[in-house]
Amino acid sequence: MVQRVSAVYMLLFLVFLLFHFVLTPPHSYQAWRDWVRSPFVGIAASVFFAALLAHVWVGIRDVVLDYVRPIGARVLALALLGLCLAGAGAWLVRILWLPRP
Amino acid sequence: MRFSIFRFDPERDKKPYMQDFEIELEAADRMLLDVILRLKARDDSLTIRKSCREGVCGSDAININGRNGLACITNVRELKEPVVLRPLPTFPVIRDLVVDITRFFEQYHSIKPYLINDEPAPERERLQSPEDREKLNGLYECILCACCTSQCPSSWWNPEKFVGPAGLLQADRFIADSRDRATRERLDDLNDVYRLFRCRSIMNCTEVCPKGLAPSRAIERIRLALVKDSL
Amino acid sequence: MLRPENKRPVFFNPVLIQMPVGALTSIVHRVTGILLAAGIPFTIYILDLSLQSDQSWSRVVHLLDAWPFKAIAIVFIWALAHHLLAGVRHLLGDVDVGSGLISARRSAWMVNLGGLAVGLLAAGALL
Repeated sequence: MVQRVSAVYMLLFLVFLLFHFVLTPPHSYQAWRDWVRSPFVGIAASVFFAALLAHVWVGIRDVVLDYVRPIGARVLALALLGLCLAGAGAWLVRILWLPRP
Repeated sequence: MRFSIFRFDPERDKKPYMQDFEIELEAADRMLLDVILRLKARDDSLTIRKSCREGVCGSDAININGRNGLACITNVRELKEPVVLRPLPTFPVIRDLVVDITRFFEQYHSIKPYLINDEPAPERERLQSPEDREKLNGLYECILCACCTSQCPSSWWNPEKFVGPAGLLQADRFIADSRDRATRERLDDLNDVYRLFRCRSIMNCTEVCPKGLAPSRAIERIRLALVKDSL
Repeated sequence: MLRPENKRPVFFNPVLIQMPVGALTSIVHRVTGILLAAGIPFTIYILDLSLQSDQSWSRVVHLLDAWPFKAIAIVFIWALAHHLLAGVRHLLGDVDVGSGLISARRSAWMVNLGGLAVGLLAAGALL
């Protein structure tokens, strides 16, 4: 369910992104930055990345459940995956929402 | 016609090996099983399980050129040479082409493959409308030959936890039955990351089913019922 | 049932078991998913760089123009296209569109070829 809902949202967002880059590609740093920092894009992109991380969690978890049999290795792999995704999430919050010098 | 057949005799062999055979087809040879039985007449150590020899009992399910099927209803003249015969994948080999499918039956039993209805029995029988009976078509015909489950990647990786296509087809057969009263319990039992949701809709099951059934459809129906239920 | 001390061989060699086209689509869906997930840190890094300053923005623009990046981008675009198409195929299956065997086979071919076509288009556009 998570997998499907996140997939649909990401699909819509990617189509939006594709149209943006084809119709009005950003030509300068300023334009790109202002676009990303606009509230609409900021929120839409944040939801996109949240959906992406959730999607990756379910997807890679399924792969681990299929191929990693020993319970210790499985827990370790899932913990590592969770850690990486949390790190990626923190990094994205910093990029998208925290003020830059 | 050339054959390459998986051989293993637990009393003689440490490891299985492939043995080549060559035999002229005769006019009476229609199905693969006919030819295997003639090979067996030549070398009586060659072992295969068979009973009805007409696609009803499901005993002679084997892997034919990489694809699971029933030897007795596989047209031998349509097979590519050399015909490579192996036992059903992932099951312990008892001897040659005969495998132990206990695990398969354990999963089948786990879905309670019988009518559950505590209501007092009517005097004669529990009747069904023709429309309700219609819903069982495509489900009740399964002969439990294990071709589907043995070709299913989801069953390969989680054989103890994933019910597998054959078991899930039967689960749907009882969920769909108007006389059964345990639909709720059946759905709850399957609502599990492993038991049902390991299915990735690969559809190998439906590809190989020798009876032309569609376990993947049945699984989808159960999944849909669970989603409707949760909303 | 076999006694456990009686070690039995098992025939299990995925290479020797026939994989219908749907199975191929499924395994590529999985492989592209892993590939795309592995590409996430790199994507975030590029995004980060592009939003830091005027200089870092130009570095990104230069980087995107270099051929090693283009080669990676083509693989990435193929993976994304295949993964998306296979995902849409799953979603349609959920609402019971194309879940019969014949139509599922056809849609599996369409996904495999469609992914390749998008990859080739990307190669044409980038190189």
